Amino acid sequence: MRNLIEFFLRYSSWMLFAVYMVAGCFLLFHSNPWQHHVMLTSANAVSAVVYKGAGNLTAYFHLRDINEDLQRRNAVLEREVLNLKQQLERTRELVYADTMTTDSALQRYSFILARVINNSTNRIHNYITLDKGSADGIRPEMGVMDQNGVVGIVNVTGPHSARVISLLNNHLRLSCKVKGHDHVGSLVWDGADPEEAILEELPRHAVFAVGDTIITSGFSTVFPEGVPVGTIIKGLRDHDENFFALRVKLFTDFTTLGTVRVIADSMTDELREVERDIIDKK
Amino acid sequence: MSKTTLKFIFLGLLLMALQVMVFNHIALLGYAVGFIFIYILVSLPLTLSVNWTMTIGFFMGLTVDIFADTQGMNAISCTILAALRRPVIKLYFPREEDITDPCPSAHSLGFPVFAKYALTLSAIYCLTIFLVESMSFFRPLTLLIRIVASTVLTFLLIIATDSLTSSHNEKRL
Repeated sequence: MRNLIEFFLRYSSWMLFAVYMVAGCFLLFHSNPWQHHVMLTSANAVSAVVYKGAGNLTAYFHLRDINEDLQRRNAVLEREVLNLKQQLERTRELVYADTMTTDSALQRYSFILARVINNSTNRIHNYITLDKGSADGIRPEMGVMDQNGVVGIVNVTGPHSARVISLLNNHLRLSCKVKGHDHVGSLVWDGADPEEAILEELPRHAVFAVGDTIITSGFSTVFPEGVPVGTIIKGLRDHDENFFALRVKLFTDFTTLGTVRVIADSMTDELREVERDIIDKK
Repeated sequence: MSKTTLKFIFLGLLLMALQVMVFNHIALLGYAVGFIFIYILVSLPLTLSVNWTMTIGFFMGLTVDIFADTQGMNAISCTILAALRRPVIKLYFPREEDITDPCPSAHSLGFPVFAKYALTLSAIYCLTIFLVESMSFFRPLTLLIRIVASTVLTFLLIIATDSLTSSHNEKRL
């Protein structure tokens, strides 16, 4: 027994080193980012407070750019509203007899506004921290977008903070398509340039041109169909000859993220239940 | 609690806050990231046992990890750094009993020796952290540029922090 204690004392540094390395590696190779505990991510209470303080200061820095983006987006939306109004008038004239307006309570998607309090773009796995959490209705696996386009997917939520897996994180694959066509590919970041990503696994017979818009496909409850993602810069050959890969310039400027919208889908639970039933029956 | 302990606690909190809120968000030219908080590990007294150094290193790294969502990367690198600190200083300064002040600094070791020591530790840290980060994602040239650029930046930050803190010491004397 004394020998044993002596042994431990003599090699205590090595033991401690091993313990710390194992603990570190455990954290590191606990590789599925969806299973992290909220205490060990930037969504925990302490870091949220610190980042909120820092975010209050830095939120002012990009106001001009954000304002410009909003104006531009506003102009686009206004034009769209005018077009739609025109169309509506025309349709109304056509089906004068049975005009039916949709009830707003039947709307499937709603938005929760949140502010970005921490964000990085220079790593391989980037995450974003928001200042709202489960108390404000944010749940894991909700989509996040800003005025320009897709930002990421919520991954861990605390009561008043949430961590988002950024689109600039190669754990995230997003189902996307070229606007106007139905061929679906998956968008993934290659870790190089925070303004560009790659749309992979697009079928060989898909039609596209440089400058075309990429939008979300709506094949999940995370994002509705048609959220803008980016434009095509050029086509690449994928690793597999049967697929195209496209280099996409992202609409979202990840270096100046300010206020974002979290997309709440009222059908999430229903769809998930239906899908679970199917799996259970198998 | 002695003056040195208080100084290190205060300096540690300050440097970690700086690291988390400022330096983690700066990537000079898109490559160079400065790790200012390892100055604490560089300048901890040599009289402190390796066990304590490693414990301090691990928990400092873990704190930065939690804030930056890097999951264990800084914790592993800090533990390795803390373990290798003494061998490195022995390499450049073989007669340990000649060191007057137990805290390594440009003042106590002389600038050339301290510069070599700080550069070696920066290189070790940047090498481990970027190797660990790129394990799943290998791109040799980018990796090399990032390691070299970050080492240089971290080295400069350590020298700068050291000159700031030790100039205070001189005033007190």
